Amino acid sequence: MNPKSNLIIGLVIAVVVVMSYNLEADPAQFVDGIPNLAIIAKEMTEVEPALFGTAFWSILETIQMAFIGTVVGVAIALPLSMLAARNLNSKFVYAPIRAILAATRTFPSILWAILFVIMVGLGPFAGILAIIMYTVGFIAKLQYESIEAVDSDPVEAVSSIGVSKWQLIRHVIIPESAPHLLSQILYMFDYNVRQTTILGLVGAGGIGFYIINYIKFFEYGKAAVFMLVVLIVVLIIDWISVKIRDKYIIKAQRGMKIAV
Amino acid sequence: MISLSRGNSHHQSFSSLSNITTRTIIQMNDVWASYDGKNYVLKEITLSIIRGTNYAIVGPSGSGKSTLLRLINGMMRPSKGQVKVDYENPNTNNKQFKLAMAKIGYIPQNLGLVRNITVLDNVLIGALPRVGKFKSFFKIFPDNETSEAEKILKLVGLEDKAERKTYMLSGGEKRRVAIARALMQKPVLLLADEIVSELDHVTAREIMDLVVNAKRRFNLTAIMVHHDIKLGLEYADRVAVIKEGQKILELGVEGDKIVDFQTGNISQQEIMELYSES
Ligand SMILES: Nc1ncnc2c1ncn2[C@@H]1O[C@H](COP(=O)(O)OP(=O)(O)OP(=O)(O)O)[C@@H](O)[C@H]1O
Ligand SMILES: [Mg+2]
Repeated sequence: MNPKSNLIIGLVIAVVVVMSYNLEADPAQFVDGIPNLAIIAKEMTEVEPALFGTAFWSILETIQMAFIGTVVGVAIALPLSMLAARNLNSKFVYAPIRAILAATRTFPSILWAILFVIMVGLGPFAGILAIIMYTVGFIAKLQYESIEAVDSDPVEAVSSIGVSKWQLIRHVIIPESAPHLLSQILYMFDYNVRQTTILGLVGAGGIGFYIINYIKFFEYGKAAVFMLVVLIVVLIIDWISVKIRDKYIIKAQRGMKIAV
Repeated sequence: MISLSRGNSHHQSFSSLSNITTRTIIQMNDVWASYDGKNYVLKEITLSIIRGTNYAIVGPSGSGKSTLLRLINGMMRPSKGQVKVDYENPNTNNKQFKLAMAKIGYIPQNLGLVRNITVLDNVLIGALPRVGKFKSFFKIFPDNETSEAEKILKLVGLEDKAERKTYMLSGGEKRRVAIARALMQKPVLLLADEIVSELDHVTAREIMDLVVNAKRRFNLTAIMVHHDIKLGLEYADRVAVIKEGQKILELGVEGDKIVDFQTGNISQQEIMELYSES
């Protein structure tokens, strides 16, 4: 390591210390708080098995919300991503679309959920709308980036045949970017399940509603049941999406590496 | 008679090309080309290609061979001079231009196949300019187009690989797919950029024979770029030799001798030297 990078590391540490002084972030408080954590942990071991039924139905609702939100979000995102790709459109088309997409991504989904609770009332529907907003913003961005990264060779070759722009999109751009899309959708669903578990915090449906309420009333044992269910379900979904990825995506991408 | 005419406006006049005849399919007059507007990668290219010719373009790497094909297929416009491609289609508005492009079967150096679709789907792309846009969006092709594609796949020897994903094919098979897609365009002109480079001798010959047969069968004019001058002289009627962006020779066989039609005074000695260079 050279003196210059030492200096940079030193500076970063100094800045962190100064900033935490301002935020009253005191490591001593963290250490003092450890016994409190032990109390919660102990109460959490006193789980109430009777609640597993309720937990099961509420996680199912969560998964439903995430699923619908992901599917609808992707369906909206795809056409938008075509309009947002710089290699397919003029500046006047892609620039405003990109601005809108960036705006939807600016807010975390929980803020969208609050907005939609105000609009359509408490319940899963508000949560679904929030998931859709977030999914549109993200999938459209990932997708226009992979459209822009599509190999220019087939694009040039097929354009020279004299096809229309939509034929080019349909027969070259979509198939060439599809392997990425599947992996992006899986990732998004995975992510949306996690997101949806916390949307209940603002009353937008799903399992988070139970967790926040039990925590509010210091019933950590009951909350623990729901958190355990979330943990198990998220792990299962993770495992399934790894399997799907291995089966379909890895294979396709290996194929893509074969040079002509 | 002139369907494609490219060049900047000062060089666009049709009358200046009074020597163009129906026998000529391609006419270039003092063509210059550049990618950045400063450095010319093609200079003073003048050539005319007679309908039905098997024409070859050879030259070292970076000499401008691929650029020359891009000028002919309309993907690139010359900075100076004119490129005229002619096949009995009188208009040059935008739509006509696209229709004209559809009649040029172009096989780029990298083939430009769509890797994640089947061989048959790649071949059907050649028919896109002819089929309804709405139907083709849902991959609905008329029966006669599908059977035409199958016929062409048989011609190139890939009938049993029609449903195979294109990325799974070997290098030689991919070249056959690219040829099939070009033939599916029902082209008048076939352009192929180094289609047999990097192949072993046996496969290279198979592919060359395939192209020559297809050219004869569909009555095409073929323009093929080769790295290797021997290949050009063996298969083509005419061989343009490009060096540093300029056409230095245009070789052909007259009697039992190789002659240069450009300068008319190349010695057999010089031709032998060209042979050993490549
Ligand atoms: N897209 C491009 N942008 C800028 N310069 C380019 C581009 N394509 C080619 N060139 C340049 O133009 C010159 C001629 O390139 P071209 O591809 O026509 O050569 P070539 O004779 O086909 O070579 P090779 O045998 O290696 O394929 C080269 O100097 C190359 O660097
Ligand atoms: Mg080249």
